[in-house]
Amino acid sequence: MRSRFDEELNDLNNELILMGALCEDAISHAVTALMEDDEEMRAKVFSVDSRIDAKEHDIEARCLRLLLRQQPVARDLRQISSAMRMISDMERIGDQAGDIAEISRYLRGSALKKEVPLQQMAAVVIKMVSDSVDSFVHHDLQLAQQVLADDDQADQLFLDIKRGLVEKIAGSSGCGESALDLLMISKYLERIGVHATNISEWVYYAVTGEYKGEEL
Amino acid sequence: MKKKLLLYSCLLAVAAIIITAVLINITVYRDFSDSMRESVRLDAVNISQAYGSYGEDYLETVEGDSSTYRVTLISEQGEVLFDTAADAESLANHADRPEVIAALADGAGESTRYSETLSRETYYYALAQADGTILRVAMTIDSVYASLLAMLPLMLLIVVAVFILSLLLASWQSRRIIRPINELDLDHPADNDIYPELAPLLGRLQKQNEQISAQMARLRQAQNEFAEITNHMREGFLIIDDKEEVLSYNKSALSLLDIAEIGETPQHILALNRSEELRGTLERVLAGESAECLLNIAQRKVRLLANPVVDQGQVKGAVLLLRDTTEQEEREKLRREFTANVSHELKTPLTSISGYAEIIANGLARPEDVPRFAGSIYDEVQRLISLINDIIKLSRLDEEEGLPQRQQVDLAGLAETVCERLEPEAARRRIMLERQIAPCSVSGIEQVLEEMVYNLVDNAIKYNRPEGQVRVALERQGAEAVLSVSDSGIGIPESEQERIFERFYRVDKSHSDNIPGTGLGLSIVKHGAMIHHAKISVASQVDKGTTVEVRFPL
Repeated sequence: MRSRFDEELNDLNNELILMGALCEDAISHAVTALMEDDEEMRAKVFSVDSRIDAKEHDIEARCLRLLLRQQPVARDLRQISSAMRMISDMERIGDQAGDIAEISRYLRGSALKKEVPLQQMAAVVIKMVSDSVDSFVHHDLQLAQQVLADDDQADQLFLDIKRGLVEKIAGSSGCGESALDLLMISKYLERIGVHATNISEWVYYAVTGEYKGEEL
Repeated sequence: MKKKLLLYSCLLAVAAIIITAVLINITVYRDFSDSMRESVRLDAVNISQAYGSYGEDYLETVEGDSSTYRVTLISEQGEVLFDTAADAESLANHADRPEVIAALADGAGESTRYSETLSRETYYYALAQADGTILRVAMTIDSVYASLLAMLPLMLLIVVAVFILSLLLASWQSRRIIRPINELDLDHPADNDIYPELAPLLGRLQKQNEQISAQMARLRQAQNEFAEITNHMREGFLIIDDKEEVLSYNKSALSLLDIAEIGETPQHILALNRSEELRGTLERVLAGESAECLLNIAQRKVRLLANPVVDQGQVKGAVLLLRDTTEQEEREKLRREFTANVSHELKTPLTSISGYAEIIANGLARPEDVPRFAGSIYDEVQRLISLINDIIKLSRLDEEEGLPQRQQVDLAGLAETVCERLEPEAARRRIMLERQIAPCSVSGIEQVLEEMVYNLVDNAIKYNRPEGQVRVALERQGAEAVLSVSDSGIGIPESEQERIFERFYRVDKSHSDNIPGTGLGLSIVKHGAMIHHAKISVASQVDKGTTVEVRFPL
């Protein structure tokens, strides 16, 4: 028989998975909206983002209730405290996906977005978010490490995009505005990558009790 | 139970002690008062004898001892002559005292009553004397109570001691009674040797245990059967409850969802898959309607059918069925492409035919051009006919019905014939047709095999360069007959090699007239090979040539 506390922890876990899934939706919709000028997807990003915000509140309240009422220790405490950290990273991912969707309005029909490795970077970042949620779901430390490794790739792609955009601006006039928008989008993607990395680090902490190689 | 036993034992002990004490008190009291009366009587006799000998003077000596007795001398008229407890003159006439009356009459008399002189309950004994006076000895009953009171502390001590002892005994006993009950082996109630009073209860327990284990065994068997059945299903099967937790699943479900292992504890379905499509479907199915969706899992397409489990108007969970539809979707896509291609391939010649015919019909064509136009119309019609023939062949191969019976076919002879038929065409293109055919026969359908060889050799000639070579080889390799057709032609880029067997797929996308062909030749070869369980492999290098190898099992 599972105790009520275990059941609540389990519910918390499920809610986190759901919130992670919403983040995956938000970012993949945002990228589709950007690359394919899909208005419907753009609208979806905003609705998913508001759902993510609501989830954050909900999960936060759950965590606080568990902390106050059950006074958990050891692994349970780690699970709850890492959940509280993870949701703020997830919430940021949702916001940044919303920002990407917002900016993508001004890039409708722009050919420039296909000329820099933006799609490639988006694919890397989406995979990072997916993997970080997966590492949480299956307590897969190897996958969590993989996310940390992928972050370097995302950083490198950001630099490539930046360099490409600088060349475009220098080469021809008239694409400056789009180039700056694209630079912002790639920066947002890079930030999302960092948030995915944070999530993985919290997963690592929840499982092993170590955060960035140190006992907390 | 232990507490109750202890409580009852204690109550019993307390009651026993109280009753015993009361009874003992009563007995002791009666004993005491009897012996007191006896001693009063004895003393009275002694005093009376002494009085007889020494007269009233003796009584004076007794007076000093007045704490124990009260001695009174009463005259015949009831006048008090002497008293040890009070002044004789102050006392009233005692003639009416019952003991005095009795002594006057019988010589001795006794009575127990309240003494006005002593103000206490008193026992009197009176004796008539020889001189006519009456000697009375009295003793207060209080002295009996005093004796009893003196015994009280000891008695209380005994009561407490007995109470403690009985408490210990009661607790020991209740423990002793309870112990065998606590030590009952409830898994095997019949094996217990204990109070006969418990035997019916234990018998009942035994029976119920047996019933439960039989029921459990039945349930387990049913569950095993269910698991056995579902585990052999190709479809994935999942049951979830209304909280979306997985209650049951089969192996196929895990492999379709691309999950390696699932723990013993129930898991939330989102831990298995959290795609938007699945979440939407779950939302709908738990709202009570059937739903379905297509999931993309690890490059496979999985169709999910979800049905709610409704009990008394409430959704209690859902049954999810997963089916791998990758091939189906693929085939669907191919069919759509095929239809589009067929329409295109049929329309092109018809458009030219219609164009030429229109020019002729309108009289726009000069008479000397008409034969040329007619020739073009003839060519296009020929192309149409061969296209339609190929489509018919393919669809027959698709159906696999209406095909002739398999028989032993002389593949070597068949290859020779095909080569002879294509020799003129090769010669026209100045291509060397080389044969290296070993005698060999396979079990199969002659028309299909011929069609296959024809298409392969025909392709090798068509997609060749002028003055190139074509080599047709047939040999036995172990349990296989290997037919290989090599050319020195244009070759196929590696990226396209996978697609050349698709219908209407042509490496040369322009559908140009440079090389006549329907784009169905290799499709026919592939289907023919499938029917004969043969394996096809292609090795090709651009501008060097292509070798197609077909391996027939013998």
